[in-house]
Amino acid sequence: MEREELTKLTIALAKGRMQEEAQRLLLRAGIELDETLNGSRRLTAYDRRGRYRLVFVKPADVPVYVEHGIADCGIVGRDVLMEAEADVLQPLDLGINRCRIAVAAKGPDDVTRNLGMLRVATKYPRIAAAHFGRRGIPVEIIELAGSVELAPVLGLSDCIVDLVETGRTLAENGLQVVEVIAESTGRLVANRASYQLKAEAMAELIAALGRASEREG
Amino acid sequence: MSEPLSKIPVGMKYYFGSQARLRRDVEDLAMAVFRGWSYEEIVTPTIDYYALFERGMGRSQAHRAFRFTDTDGRLLALRPDITSSVARAAATLFAERARPLRFCYAATVFHQRPRSHAEWRRETTHLGCELIGARGVNADLEVLLIAAEILRRLGLAGDYRITLNDVEVFNGVAENLKLDETAREHLRQLIDARNASELREFLAPYAPAEDCIAFAQLTRLAGKSEMFDRARHLIVNERSRRALENLEALWRALEALGLADSFEIDLGDVSELDYYTGLVFRIYVRGLGVRVGNGGRYDGLTANFGRAEPAIGFIFDLDSLTDVLWRRRGAQDAGDGGARLRDEDRIALFRSALRLREADERVLIEF
Repeated sequence: MEREELTKLTIALAKGRMQEEAQRLLLRAGIELDETLNGSRRLTAYDRRGRYRLVFVKPADVPVYVEHGIADCGIVGRDVLMEAEADVLQPLDLGINRCRIAVAAKGPDDVTRNLGMLRVATKYPRIAAAHFGRRGIPVEIIELAGSVELAPVLGLSDCIVDLVETGRTLAENGLQVVEVIAESTGRLVANRASYQLKAEAMAELIAALGRASEREG
Repeated sequence: MSEPLSKIPVGMKYYFGSQARLRRDVEDLAMAVFRGWSYEEIVTPTIDYYALFERGMGRSQAHRAFRFTDTDGRLLALRPDITSSVARAAATLFAERARPLRFCYAATVFHQRPRSHAEWRRETTHLGCELIGARGVNADLEVLLIAAEILRRLGLAGDYRITLNDVEVFNGVAENLKLDETAREHLRQLIDARNASELREFLAPYAPAEDCIAFAQLTRLAGKSEMFDRARHLIVNERSRRALENLEALWRALEALGLADSFEIDLGDVSELDYYTGLVFRIYVRGLGVRVGNGGRYDGLTANFGRAEPAIGFIFDLDSLTDVLWRRRGAQDAGDGGARLRDEDRIALFRSALRLREADERVLIEF
């Protein structure tokens, strides 16, 4: 609690795919992490000037920490936000980790053939249900924790809804994108209360990250 | 197989000990402040027709209520808000009373579905007031000052922030763009989430590029008096302009009363548009990630019950307030201080207890 007084903002960072690019972006924005972080298993770190506390959590947990205000803001993919339906602000598109949330199958026919009840394997049950719901296609959602590409190959599902970066993993499994649901990039999210109560620090961070991400783009 | 009785339904909780005392103190304090501003307590039915809330809150909010049927088959609800019921009473029961009406309440409301992950409670207590039959800056100011006084008396001066907006700013922009209902709702969500980049994309087909950038600024238009000049440059339609003028008049008054530090204009707050018709505000307290209260002007509501008149009100969420105060203060002992009584002679024991109680002393009968 005392440390929080010194630190202006707590930022939750999604571990994994996005972490490296997010940290590069932070660095360009002048937020340099204390070196002791590198390679260590510590889950929190401070920037050199002690303005920001960073916490490293699983991507799906970023909106949770932010919505509860434990983290004032966070960096996480739009895919995670769409799936979480979290009540957070999204003041900035950081343009990092650009990829697509897509429907993929062995061929386009696999999605149209079985309109009676399409079986969809995914890590994104809400996005998948909302997408096919909008199009009036009844679906059986099969929620998987990983290696979603295997499902159509082994016959568990007709298609998948997944994040596609280069499409290589899909191709290796004989799958192709049949429809793009949405583009996804890394987003800065903010807690509603922090956005008001720490308005100055928040504006400062948004401006710095905005400049840094524009230079990137 | 029977469920274990130890289990409590999701979103419900007990209060006890010093937390329960704190909660009671907060409630008493708020009700005393309401009384101090001549608000009269009103107790509304806990169970009412679902149709009342559907009309009063709008379908999307009313849908969160616990619903069940009456013996005649009509749909009932455990009240998901108090305002609907107060508005109906104002239009019917109090139709003949001189205006304005001033009502206050401390009452539980129930939601089968919570509003968000962080606001998980399904039973919450609203401390609220409604000023019905008065319009203009003075009425808006009165309720804002009541909210500020409660926060100050709770020892939160300097640690709270009330954000102000007028929904007509957004309505003017949306009207100008000639959006259909779906597009308008999408626009609202993007502004509400301060999602400037998607907002620019969304607006591209509707407006010239420079206007898109200008509107996207709506999401960033927050601040104090300097904000008005920026807003006036970006927003030129008549409807929004009038709303900005109202907000500015309110702001000048808050400044003159020395309260500007605790308030902020936030044109991006467009969360509950179907309900509110003018000023909207949200109350935040340092140390809590969710709002502790909100309110606004709802001039359209009482018309649903047959009598159109201006109205404004707000609620504090007692549970959130208790939460944040509890975290700030930590557990506090009630202290004993009471007389511990013990006597073999039953009558003597209780006689002394009654005597002490007559003098309003605290007693503790020992066993």
